[in-house]
Amino acid sequence: MEFFIQQLTNGLAVGGIYALIALGYTMVYGVMKLINFAHGELFALGAYVGYSLLVTFDLAGALGPAAAIGLTIVMVLGLVGLAGHLLERAAYRPLRHSDRLAAVVSALGASIFLQNAIMLKWGARHRAYGADLLPNVTVHFAGQSYPLIRLLVFLAAVLVMTALYAFIHRTRLGLAIRAAAIDQGAAKLMGIDVRSVIAVVFVIGPALGGLAGLLVGLYYGQIDFSMGQLYGLKAFTAAIIGGIGNIPGAMVGGLLLGLVEALGAAYVSVAWKDALAFVVLIMILVVRPTGLLPERVAEKL
Amino acid sequence: MKKYFMPILVAAAAALLAFSAGSAQAADPVKIGVMAPVTGAWASEGQDMVRVIEILAQEINDAGGVNGAPVVVEVADDGGKPNTAGLAAQKLVSAGVVAVVGTYGSSVTEASQSIYDEAGVLQIATGSTSIRLTEAGYQLFFRTCPRDDEQGRVLAAQVQALGFKRAAIVHDNTSYAKGLADEARAIFKTNGVEEVFFDAITPGDRDFTASLTKIKAAEPDVVVFTGYYPEAALLLRQKRDMNWGAPMIGGDATNNTALVEIAGAEAAAGYYFVSPPALADMPSEAAAKLRAAYQAKHGGQPSSVWSVLAGDAFNVLIKAVEAVGPDASKMGEWLKTELKDYAGLSGPIAFDAQGDRRGEVYRLYRVDAQGAFVLQ
Repeated sequence: MEFFIQQLTNGLAVGGIYALIALGYTMVYGVMKLINFAHGELFALGAYVGYSLLVTFDLAGALGPAAAIGLTIVMVLGLVGLAGHLLERAAYRPLRHSDRLAAVVSALGASIFLQNAIMLKWGARHRAYGADLLPNVTVHFAGQSYPLIRLLVFLAAVLVMTALYAFIHRTRLGLAIRAAAIDQGAAKLMGIDVRSVIAVVFVIGPALGGLAGLLVGLYYGQIDFSMGQLYGLKAFTAAIIGGIGNIPGAMVGGLLLGLVEALGAAYVSVAWKDALAFVVLIMILVVRPTGLLPERVAEKL
Repeated sequence: MKKYFMPILVAAAAALLAFSAGSAQAADPVKIGVMAPVTGAWASEGQDMVRVIEILAQEINDAGGVNGAPVVVEVADDGGKPNTAGLAAQKLVSAGVVAVVGTYGSSVTEASQSIYDEAGVLQIATGSTSIRLTEAGYQLFFRTCPRDDEQGRVLAAQVQALGFKRAAIVHDNTSYAKGLADEARAIFKTNGVEEVFFDAITPGDRDFTASLTKIKAAEPDVVVFTGYYPEAALLLRQKRDMNWGAPMIGGDATNNTALVEIAGAEAAAGYYFVSPPALADMPSEAAAKLRAAYQAKHGGQPSSVWSVLAGDAFNVLIKAVEAVGPDASKMGEWLKTELKDYAGLSGPIAFDAQGDRRGEVYRLYRVDAQGAFVLQ
């Protein structure tokens, strides 16, 4: 039982990160019906921006750890959000009225471009956030000990998702986003500026991806320029499992994928955990082709 | 003015021609290929390989070249992937290289072997330790790195010598890590170390807590990890976070200073690995010279030993060209029969009839409390 609970928390910690990245896929898909394949690279960009701020500029030394991490979070959100906006302007907006495949190819191109740009800017070596950046505090709970940072990462993920859900459902801008997700043409007729709605979505989604990158850097301590590939693929899977276009779905999908991986590693085989996770994906899609929480028109996005 | 222009130009051209003919007559440039993972997951290894070889080539050219001919280094990026290795190999073959240094990953080297063999190009791999490579019988294939079976022997012997009884073996399904794990596993069956766990993790993953929790449940007193440093560092760090004190021992792919940067000195302390000695621990004069040159040009030191073995491969190729000229089959013959105890960067170099490096290269290292790699 102790083993099971340990594996459960292992899975939830990984799943929280997947869910956070999956939000970016799902938001963009909800409004634009486009899979933003460059999202994984924006996630990696967040990790590298955080690295520059915390390690190269040594903010923690200048401001103390808490203030430094707070400032880094704000700057990562801002800078990666800006990068997402530029990406939309450069790679997607010119293709708004062309074939959907053109946008997909553009997304793949943007992904390759960003990955190599990161490598050229920061180098090909694995970068380390430094193990002493955060105090190594462990929390004892139900006979187990957990690193505090792991709980914080999970809490941060849940908090961000709740805030995003409230933003979409409680604000006027959120209402406009939902309207654009249902029918862009009708939304335009109702006086909604769909172009700026898309711009907003392309700031929020990448910013959250960047935040996930920063959390991965802080928690695992190691980043590399190709990290966006694996996480991007997993988070994309999570978005599909949950029902792409649906925000609570991204959360459910992410946590579920993390749990399946952890329990698969625990009870079947460590080497087969990824294969197992994708088998689960296929089974879910066979039974529910639109995912666990498919986008219902009224609550789309 | 104009009428003077043509004669001056002609005279200048003639002078230039005469000048270049003087050196061109001595010999055409010797083209040496470098196949390395300049991009991709092993890009830092690949870029170091190229840097080291460029430094060595520069030194040779500054000293007048080989037998009076300049050395030209052609670089091809294999991306660290078997499916791009073929392209890289063909690029070098069509560039007309006589010999190739590289590459790093065993599976990538394997994908390129037959191409070089058919083209009659001599190949010296530098980080590819998988046994199969020299067992395939290619006459022009060599390597300056040792083989997995030697590494496996040393690794298993060290686990026993350090007094461990129950070993958990973890690899990552790459041909290097799987080969090393299989080798160690076979020896554990005979040397009294019990194998309590054997499985693979996924390289590129960041979270190994689920795997570690499972490994811990098997109650090993040592974790033998045969994969690469990024994963080894994360395993060490997450093992520390679990408050699990069992030591870990690994192979040469973890001999990289980034291991300590990622894991932190506290988590990395006490980690053992077997590896050819690092550049800093190499006593040779040539190694000291390379250290200084690398420091001056790129700052710091190569992050691992593999780029130094690439330098060794390049140096013996130059020796072979000096001895028998730029002819791949003669060079191959010369390397197998004539090259005896050449003073390489990493120690004496000689090859056996299969093209494997002779002699024992591996040493045991331990990470101390400050995070330094200490030769045991």
